[in-house]
Amino acid sequence: MIAGLVFDLGFTSNPDFWIFVVFFFIISFYFGYFWRSRESRVKWLIEQANLKTQQILELEKVNKEMLDKNRELYTKELELTMANKHLQSLEDAKSKFISVTTHQLRTPLAAIKWTLDMATKGQLGTVNDEQKKFLGKGLESTNRVISIVNDLLKIDSIDEEHTRYEFHPADLVKLTEDVLFEFHNQSEIKKIRLNFVRPEASIPYLDIDASKIRIALENLVDNAIKYTIEGGEVAVIISDRRLNSAEGAIEVSVSDSGIGIPAGETSRVFQKFFRAGNAIQKEPDGSGLGLFIARDIIEKHGGAIWFKNRLNGQGTIFAFTLPLHQKKV
Amino acid sequence: MDKKKVFIVEDDEFLRSLNAKKLENEGYIVAVAVDGQEAIDNIPKELPNLIFLDLLLPKVNGFDVLAKIKADPTTKDIPVVVFSNLGQREDIEKARGLGAIDFLVKANFTLDDVVAKIKEILK
Repeated sequence: MIAGLVFDLGFTSNPDFWIFVVFFFIISFYFGYFWRSRESRVKWLIEQANLKTQQILELEKVNKEMLDKNRELYTKELELTMANKHLQSLEDAKSKFISVTTHQLRTPLAAIKWTLDMATKGQLGTVNDEQKKFLGKGLESTNRVISIVNDLLKIDSIDEEHTRYEFHPADLVKLTEDVLFEFHNQSEIKKIRLNFVRPEASIPYLDIDASKIRIALENLVDNAIKYTIEGGEVAVIISDRRLNSAEGAIEVSVSDSGIGIPAGETSRVFQKFFRAGNAIQKEPDGSGLGLFIARDIIEKHGGAIWFKNRLNGQGTIFAFTLPLHQKKV
Repeated sequence: MDKKKVFIVEDDEFLRSLNAKKLENEGYIVAVAVDGQEAIDNIPKELPNLIFLDLLLPKVNGFDVLAKIKADPTTKDIPVVVFSNLGQREDIEKARGLGAIDFLVKANFTLDDVVAKIKEILK
């Protein structure tokens, strides 16, 4: 109808009119387009805003959960710290108890030992053979008690089930030197030569629990000296197994010129409390724990321990390996 | 030949008297202290050739006595043998660190061993 009107009014012959019409359609087309796209853009914006709001709400929810978990963790950490402090004070109390007790036990034990020793040697007056014999037995028993007290100290520090092993890089050569220093009195008194053969080339630090390895080595050296007669020799040799095998390990051997291990008893040597017949004869005092403890320590380090009889002459060689590094747990 | 003087610091009366008696029998002059304070007071006066030092002592403990002796120029060169019934690693190392030349656990040695040790040190 409007079109009819427009036609009748005679505009149609005017070219400007048609330009205007085309313009009008173009403009209204674009206008419509922009209007619709504005609508959809607004719609799109609103949708996006909604999405974002949802995301923010979710993030807030997660945040709250994390905060709650954090609070839980913090409480647990506090609990752990308190438990740790408690354990530490128990450990300290235990150590103190052990050192005070051993001191208190050792003092009267030393007194008994010295008295019996002097009496047996006739330094407190003449003794006949019979008296000497009995005093000697008393002295032996005393020495056995002293030896047990000494071992108790060592056991306490390595209660197998509960003890913590802490591995740190350590100088095995220096550790061995220190251990041998501890024994120089004993070996001098027994006139036994103590030799230390260091590795040909310097070895790196090993990941070990130094205080435990110390105990293991002490036990081996102690045995070597105990079971070797006067004038004998004990040698400690450290060698680098990497030089002639694929193993990343260092080997420590302790050899003695002593009484050896009887054939029938070799399989029981590392058993708890086991002492070979000839060992008991040579040295009545001994707990039978030294090798048991040493093996436990070496195995906890991932090493191996073994012994063999010496080929030329008498004596035994005990040896153990220690890997350079501990596997990370 | 001059008689050598040995100073014993030991709080247990019986051990102290046994030790002193033994050393006197062997021809040494013996001076004693029953606690850490007596040791600090008398060692500079007695100026012995050798000191046997217990660690667990009343009043002043053995480690402090050792530190004091080694800090005093008149006494720092006297050899000190720690003679104790403690014997844990830390004790031995601490004593060595403070200047003790040796560490003996009383219960592990006889008095004859002690005499042999003295002879060796004072050679």
